[in-house]
Amino acid sequence: MQLFVEAIGFGIASGAVIALGAVGFSVQFGMSNILNITYGSLMTLGAYVGLFLIDRSVSPWVALAVAGAVVGAISVVFHRVLLAPLVRRGTRAFALVIVTVSAGVILQYVIVAFAGPDAKSYGELSGQTFRLLGFVLTASQVTIIVIAVVLMLALHLLLTQTHLGRAMRATASNRILAQSCGINTDFVSDLAWLLSGALCGAAGVALAITTVSFDFSLGPVFLIPMIAAAVLGGIGQPYGAMLGGLVVGVATELTAAYSNPEYSQVAAFAILIAMLLIRPRGLFGAAWATRRLMA
Amino acid sequence: MEFYLIVLLVYLGTDLLAAWGLNLEFGVAGVANLAFILTIAAGAYAFVVFTLGPSAAAGNFQQYVGGFSMPFPVAVAAGGVAGAVVGVLIGITGLKRLRQDYQAVAMLVVSLMAATVVSADTPFLNGNAGLVVLPNYKPFGDQDPEVQRWLYVAIVGVVCVAGYYVLRKFTRGPIGRTLRAVRDDEFAAAAIGKNVVTSRLWVQAVGGAFGGLSGALLVAFIGGWSPGTWAYVETLALLTAVIVGGMGNDLGVSIGTFLIAILLLQGVQFLPQIPGHIGLKEDLGWIVLGVMTIAFIWLRPRGMVPERRPKYGGGS
Repeated sequence: MQLFVEAIGFGIASGAVIALGAVGFSVQFGMSNILNITYGSLMTLGAYVGLFLIDRSVSPWVALAVAGAVVGAISVVFHRVLLAPLVRRGTRAFALVIVTVSAGVILQYVIVAFAGPDAKSYGELSGQTFRLLGFVLTASQVTIIVIAVVLMLALHLLLTQTHLGRAMRATASNRILAQSCGINTDFVSDLAWLLSGALCGAAGVALAITTVSFDFSLGPVFLIPMIAAAVLGGIGQPYGAMLGGLVVGVATELTAAYSNPEYSQVAAFAILIAMLLIRPRGLFGAAWATRRLMA
Repeated sequence: MEFYLIVLLVYLGTDLLAAWGLNLEFGVAGVANLAFILTIAAGAYAFVVFTLGPSAAAGNFQQYVGGFSMPFPVAVAAGGVAGAVVGVLIGITGLKRLRQDYQAVAMLVVSLMAATVVSADTPFLNGNAGLVVLPNYKPFGDQDPEVQRWLYVAIVGVVCVAGYYVLRKFTRGPIGRTLRAVRDDEFAAAAIGKNVVTSRLWVQAVGGAFGGLSGALLVAFIGGWSPGTWAYVETLALLTAVIVGGMGNDLGVSIGTFLIAILLLQGVQFLPQIPGHIGLKEDLGWIVLGVMTIAFIWLRPRGMVPERRPKYGGGS
């Protein structure tokens, strides 16, 4: 029982990180309809930007914010310079996936070339341990959960309470209709890529904080649970991705607790494949979303 | 030097088989199979398991399922069959009519998942350490080693020629036309009575068999096989060969394979070693590979030697 409760606690902590990334992925997809696999390597980039700063004794939480800003900016440029022109030329969806996979591989090996292939670590950051309701969590895990909750709440307020958020949702659901309502869809789309890139960079630093050590494969490895979370919650739907992140986080940690820890990722893979085969619109996806997923 | 030439010829032969198989799936039938490397891995593991004999006989220094002592041709055929089976299993994830990009991601995930499971499950195929072909394994009895190596190149060459013949049957014949129809307009093909699912599974089986043969012939030559040799990026190398050469064109894909697998990925090995940066040459190889893929999709999506539009007679 103790093992079960502890696994749930770890699951919530890793679920918070997965949710950060999954929400960013979902926002991007909802806006542009592109499955951006480069997202994984951008997350790795975030982790290494964080490493660069923490090695210069910057606080990890400042590093998290800076990495978010850097990756957010790169994400906008990446979309503007590479993906958007390809979409305008009518490049087919599977070719776009190959482009984003390739760009991810390029970025990954550029990072390796600069930072080296060996495993890195942020050093000892965990601080004191909290025991709450049977959960055992480190201070940094608690901080990351708080950061994730605050960011999700901020995103929720942005999407529902501001003019800009409404414009974003309008553009995501029908770009042409949004344009004819006078929304500057290019600007709104840039903003979405900035936001999702920022979440991606922050998730990268958060991942590096929660894992003992990481290397250049950090992002691609954790991208799968994030896509699983996004698909589970209904892709393109930020709220679904938040809940999906929690479910995937708990599922992977329970798998790790009750079987071979190396299989923890397999739980996420299995959730993703099963969702794609059985209910691609996700648990909470609207019927209209199904049309976008099917051929 | 002569040995290196032999190595290159074997690599070229096995890469050609793999690239043709992938081209059949991706170029001709339009299935963006990002898990293609699994068929190669399956063929290689099948070959090893069919030649190693029971695990206990060799003192259990590596663990694996099965373990037979079959002659070389049987083991290679087993590799082909294993590739075909895995190809069909991968194809099943694409049965549901998902968007093509979702299909590609599902297959990428299958590839990562298989690598995780095989690495973690040591009793299955010796996990992360991989399997080594027994050092006393000799397909041709007690010949001079050099003669043996050239004999091996000849075998790979014969399989390639036979493979090319089968491939032409597929790409040029009625089956090829059906596959192209399914690729270009699934609904139209279904409307005139073509069974989309069956034809896709067939192409997965045949393409997978090509991958399996490629893996079996490769592992018999290099002598070992582990999860590190079939990471998902290896599929990207083959995919780049297909895209650069020309999707759906057998000749183009062959040229693309030579350019990517031999000139680029072997060529970077000859770059000078920069001190303090181990593996930088290989990193550069992957970076160039990725740039080439994106550049071709951007500038010349149909490749160096584009697929020939079929001309149908009857208009005379």
